[in-house]
Amino acid sequence: MFAADFRIILPEAILAIWAMGALIAAAWTVKDAATRALTWATAALMLALALWIGTGTGVDSAFDGSFVDDRFARFAKVAILLISASILLMGEGYMTRRALMRFEYPLLIALATVGMLVMVSSGDLIVLYMGVELQSLSLYVLAALRRDSPRSTEAGLKYFVLGAFGSGLLLYGASLAYGFAGTTLFSGIIEATADGVSLGLLFALVFMMAGFAYKVSAAPFHMWTPDVYEGAPTTVTAFFATAPKMAGMALFARVMFDAFGNVTGDWQQIVAFLSVFSMFLGAFGGIGQMDFKRLMAYSTIGHMGFALMGLTAGTGLGVQAMLVYMAIYVTMDLGAFAFIMSMERDGRPVTDIRSLNLYSRERPLVALAMLVLLFSLAGVPPTVGFFGKYYVLHAAYDGGFGWLAVLGVIASVISAFYYLRIVYFMYFGRETQPLDRVMSPAAWVFVVGCAAIMVFGVVNLFGVEPAAAGAAAALVN
Amino acid sequence: MIAQNLMLVLVLLPFVGALAAVTQPRGAQRGPAWISGATMAAGLVILAALRGPAGATWPLRASLHWAPSAGLDLAFRLDGFAWLFAALILGIGILVVLYARYYLAPTDSAPRFHALLLAFCGSMLGLVLSANVIILVVFWEMTSLLSFLLIGFRSANVGAREGARMSLIVTAGGGLCLLVAMLILGRITGSYDLDHILAAGAVIRAHPLYPPLLVLFLLGAFTKSAQMPFHFWLPGAMAAPTPVSAYLHSATMVKAGVFLLIRFSPALGGTDAWFWMVTGTGMLTMTLGAVIALFRHDLKGLLAYSTVSHLGLITALAGLGSETAILAAIFHIVNHAVFKASLFMAAGIIDHETGTRDMRRLSGLIHFMPVTGALAIVASAAMAGVPLLNGFISKEMFFAAAADWHNGTWLDNALPLIATVGAAFSVAYSARFIATVFFGPPATDLPHLPHEPVRWMRRPVEALVFICLAIGIAPDAVLGPTLNAAARGVLGPLIPHVSISPWHGLNLPLMMSVIALLAGAAIYFPFARRISEGPEGPPLLWRVRAVRLFEIGLLAVTWKWPRVLHRAAGTDRLQPQILVLVCLALLAGLGVTFGRLSPIGQRAMLAPDLAFVLMWIAGGAAAVGAAALAKYHRFAALMLLGVAGAVTCLTFAWASAPDLAVTQLLVEVVTTVLLLLGLRWLPKRNAEIPGDRLFPARLRRARDLVIAIIAGAATTMAALAVMTRPPGPSIGNWFLRNAHSEAGGLNAVNVILVDFRAFDTFGEITVLGVVGLTVFALLRRFRPADESAGRPAQQTGKAGEIDDLPMLVPSITIRWMFPVLIVFSAWLFMRGHDLPGGGFSAGVTLAIALLAQYLGADTRWIEARITVLPIRWIGVGLLIAGLTGMSAAAFGYPFLSAQARYVELPGIGAVPASTAMAFDLGVYALVVGATVLMLIAIAHQSLRSARQRERAAEEEGEAA
Repeated sequence: MFAADFRIILPEAILAIWAMGALIAAAWTVKDAATRALTWATAALMLALALWIGTGTGVDSAFDGSFVDDRFARFAKVAILLISASILLMGEGYMTRRALMRFEYPLLIALATVGMLVMVSSGDLIVLYMGVELQSLSLYVLAALRRDSPRSTEAGLKYFVLGAFGSGLLLYGASLAYGFAGTTLFSGIIEATADGVSLGLLFALVFMMAGFAYKVSAAPFHMWTPDVYEGAPTTVTAFFATAPKMAGMALFARVMFDAFGNVTGDWQQIVAFLSVFSMFLGAFGGIGQMDFKRLMAYSTIGHMGFALMGLTAGTGLGVQAMLVYMAIYVTMDLGAFAFIMSMERDGRPVTDIRSLNLYSRERPLVALAMLVLLFSLAGVPPTVGFFGKYYVLHAAYDGGFGWLAVLGVIASVISAFYYLRIVYFMYFGRETQPLDRVMSPAAWVFVVGCAAIMVFGVVNLFGVEPAAAGAAAALVN
Repeated sequence: MIAQNLMLVLVLLPFVGALAAVTQPRGAQRGPAWISGATMAAGLVILAALRGPAGATWPLRASLHWAPSAGLDLAFRLDGFAWLFAALILGIGILVVLYARYYLAPTDSAPRFHALLLAFCGSMLGLVLSANVIILVVFWEMTSLLSFLLIGFRSANVGAREGARMSLIVTAGGGLCLLVAMLILGRITGSYDLDHILAAGAVIRAHPLYPPLLVLFLLGAFTKSAQMPFHFWLPGAMAAPTPVSAYLHSATMVKAGVFLLIRFSPALGGTDAWFWMVTGTGMLTMTLGAVIALFRHDLKGLLAYSTVSHLGLITALAGLGSETAILAAIFHIVNHAVFKASLFMAAGIIDHETGTRDMRRLSGLIHFMPVTGALAIVASAAMAGVPLLNGFISKEMFFAAAADWHNGTWLDNALPLIATVGAAFSVAYSARFIATVFFGPPATDLPHLPHEPVRWMRRPVEALVFICLAIGIAPDAVLGPTLNAAARGVLGPLIPHVSISPWHGLNLPLMMSVIALLAGAAIYFPFARRISEGPEGPPLLWRVRAVRLFEIGLLAVTWKWPRVLHRAAGTDRLQPQILVLVCLALLAGLGVTFGRLSPIGQRAMLAPDLAFVLMWIAGGAAAVGAAALAKYHRFAALMLLGVAGAVTCLTFAWASAPDLAVTQLLVEVVTTVLLLLGLRWLPKRNAEIPGDRLFPARLRRARDLVIAIIAGAATTMAALAVMTRPPGPSIGNWFLRNAHSEAGGLNAVNVILVDFRAFDTFGEITVLGVVGLTVFALLRRFRPADESAGRPAQQTGKAGEIDDLPMLVPSITIRWMFPVLIVFSAWLFMRGHDLPGGGFSAGVTLAIALLAQYLGADTRWIEARITVLPIRWIGVGLLIAGLTGMSAAAFGYPFLSAQARYVELPGIGAVPASTAMAFDLGVYALVVGATVLMLIAIAHQSLRSARQRERAAEEEGEAA
């Protein structure tokens, strides 16, 4: 029994054991000298695990249904592993230049990744919470990785305090759900809600959703996002913007459908509210920003609003749209952050977008790639970003949320402004002192590669569509 | 099959060409132009081939599978209308390429220019050929995007940047409206296929979503085709290089809007709403555009407003929607493209050769460049609608359509009049163009001495003017079949063939033409001087500038309002963020339950007890006091917190939970002591905070108080609601029933901890050990701030008073208490299995005993006498617990199975002993170790600062 269960969680276990073993080994031996090797080894392990998980089939559940391995989980897991590995690979240059290559860094990323893998596979509130906390605790530390910088420390502290609050809401909701449904298993909760949701469970649902909203930084639970994005080292910010969002969204969808799938009407309105609020806050909040990282924070908030729009639909197509959207969003953000990591002047990192004035003259190809990425973030056709938006709008519309789709279009128009302003600076700005040419080869590959995907991916959405369809079918039936 | 593939190649070809052009070396001039020209020529050849064999089977369709689950296919279709448009796009494209070859300066990047031009051409082809409306929108937005890059081609120029940005915002915004419109169309008809949608006109018009659909659709079309009030981007876009203007604003970009209107008129048109919105906007734009054009001094500005005006004319025709109107609209699209392209090119030549486009400075150019002048005069005559030129015929058809068509509304009745007025102004500005630029005295103060351009730069203009004449003289022979095929493509295959003739005899349209020509001359010539001396724009109206309004609006939306919003809603500070979160949680909770959940349930409540209530009032008051003092006097706040904690412990005891009460009490003591030790490093009191007594601060505190009261009340209500309802099935009863029979213990709590849930406890103590080590590791590196490294006030009292024997009495008492506490701890441990107590409480008690020693005496004094090695305690504790658990394996039971009932200890016999006791011992050791470890870490801080002081004193001494 235990052996069978263990076989199902083997990928997670391998990664966790690797992280803990490497942590102890490095702490007792060469410490930071091993960071480079650890970074590459961790990334390689993640890629191998992604390949392994990606080739899995069927539906399995371990530990009496509290851990589920289905196509939906596998889709999210592969995405998360690929993202984490990408962050490790592309961030190496930045971390080296900033003297942040501590051996804890790749291992904390690995541990956070384990937490996310557990999150998306959870079939039980306790497993869910365990995954969420494992992820969050690692992220708190990562946010404060640059210990000698007050900004970074403050970011870590803020993230921790507000994160604890968010976890508290989630836990409160989860305990109420247990109290009223009599079980922590999602399969039990869905049975308890077979003929409508009781008031207590509704209460639980609302609080759990607030907790999830915090984790995916959906407005009005977004407040930490700009500060933490700005304060954390850029590599870590890139990680924050991608992997936990993917995991959080997947978890959100899993709980909504696996545990509350019988009462979609009760949560759709709340998700719709989160979606609208996030889209508009992201759109308006980003306009006044001159700091690239803060701007990306508002961009994240806005994009989460769009992803939630897919969830709002409450249909298989909606989940598929959400997954496609998240995959596209993550790819765009990886490219954009690979670029931000390489913004330096006189050996110091800069994040003011005005420092990009006439960047296109310095490095035409990279500037072009950024142009594509920013257009894609704005959702301008014919980039892939447009198709992501199209998918969620379509899903929301089909799900009977026409008004939401209309608001989404308006928000996307508004938010296009600040992306295009960066393009404007890069191509038409006025003369300033140019940035240093410090982009590492890995970062270059990511900027140009992600941009290429945004252009050439339109042919078949880089193959993500059928996978997302299968994943959604596993969740919604 | 060949035809299908040819069509796909046709769409793909320009993009391949663009790729080829952009990879040319940076300074190349000829190469990119050749690529560009050859690509377009190849496109024309394919188009000609498609016309031949496939003419009978239109529409020709071809598609590639793409994302079928979302209803997206790369599907293309070709009919007469699309064919005509494609021919225009490619034909004028070739001429523009030829023109640009000589127009571009050597400093301009030709590869970039031609690549953009080709990509734009490809997007236009995709737009007119797409059979899927979503793909259509994609190409639509691509044209917006590429036109942005083309208009801003000379990016060093401020005007170019502004113009490019404005055109992008307006047209891309319109494109998004169009996208929504297409989604609604898909929703109504159930398909995104163009043929399917066009066939479902009746369903669409009857659908309740028709009005919003129409508005969104028209917003898309009007923004693209520069209809009022969205016309302002087009003059702004004149900052583009002239070949771009000639291409975008004659045959392609702006024609996309009217293309869409005509294409969808059978499906969406025919209603009153359509007529009023489309024809109304069209006529307004036509007239106002013509009026404004007359008053522009900039050559390209005049042409831009003339374009706006002509687009209005075509829009108005699309709004009428009759067969003749559609035919006239298509015809005018062709004619306008031809003469306007030639005029833009001519204007470009003039600009190029003279260095200015200001009509007030240009004069008598016919003397310097007779050939170009003659060509431009013919082209602007066509624009004015002079007979025997192409503009005349389509304008006649427009007049005829306006006069013939009736639906009885006032707009319909006024159509001929408005049309004539618009046409008159159109004649007037054409006359101004010819008269001021080419006639009059030769200009003297031009930047360059003008002369004829190079031969090949003039060829495109010659070709276009030749077409003007050819169409004007023999329309049916040149364009008849093509136009009819195009009209059939729009309206269906059944409409009768119309032959186009340049002469219809003396009838109403001809009268209108004559009136317009005369009136135009009458408007311009008397006022020629006044116009050229006046401001840039019509009288009165010139002050109202749509561009200005647009910019003010844009500034407000993109900069001012967000800043206000951000200032109001955004914050970098933690406190407001938490405030918002608390309020949200409150709102969520109240919102869900308000009015639906009564706080009082069915369970009977206990009778209130006066002592208990008083105790709670005291505890509550202490908690409030702690909160109030937290900022000003930390020590007092901590003491008050202790009181509140004590009340909690008493409550547990009151509610018959002695075990919990004991644990809680001990935990309270430990945390208070640790906090006290920590307080040593913070300023003792913080009585005066600047601004703290002022009104805003008071208001803020009052607000916080209100929120705190509401939150507290809500929590109370929630607790009350839960406690007054019958509890669900609980696992607790099972433990109570089985604690003794299964595990041999009477104290259920302890049995749960060490037996039933021993695995959890094992995890917890491991965590506790880790936490202890972490705190230790963190504090080991802790260096107190300089200002708190000094001697505390108690130690700096006057020498001899308390310094020698600090806290004599308490410290002696504490010393005496030490053995008592140790015994108490052992007692708690031993009784744990059956009575309140257990490893945890006992461990905390022993830790308190040690803590108290540190409190009561000097750290060095203590450590000289007792040696505690907390890390070993932790290690030993974990080891004992772990080994106990594993010993179960020796008997074939799972990890941590307690063996009270299976193994009798040898030699002791009947004593009811459980291996769980051993496990409890592990817990005990670990709790002691972890707590003392943290304590020592903190206590040693004062030791370190004392050493620091001593060292500083020594250094001073040496220096002295």
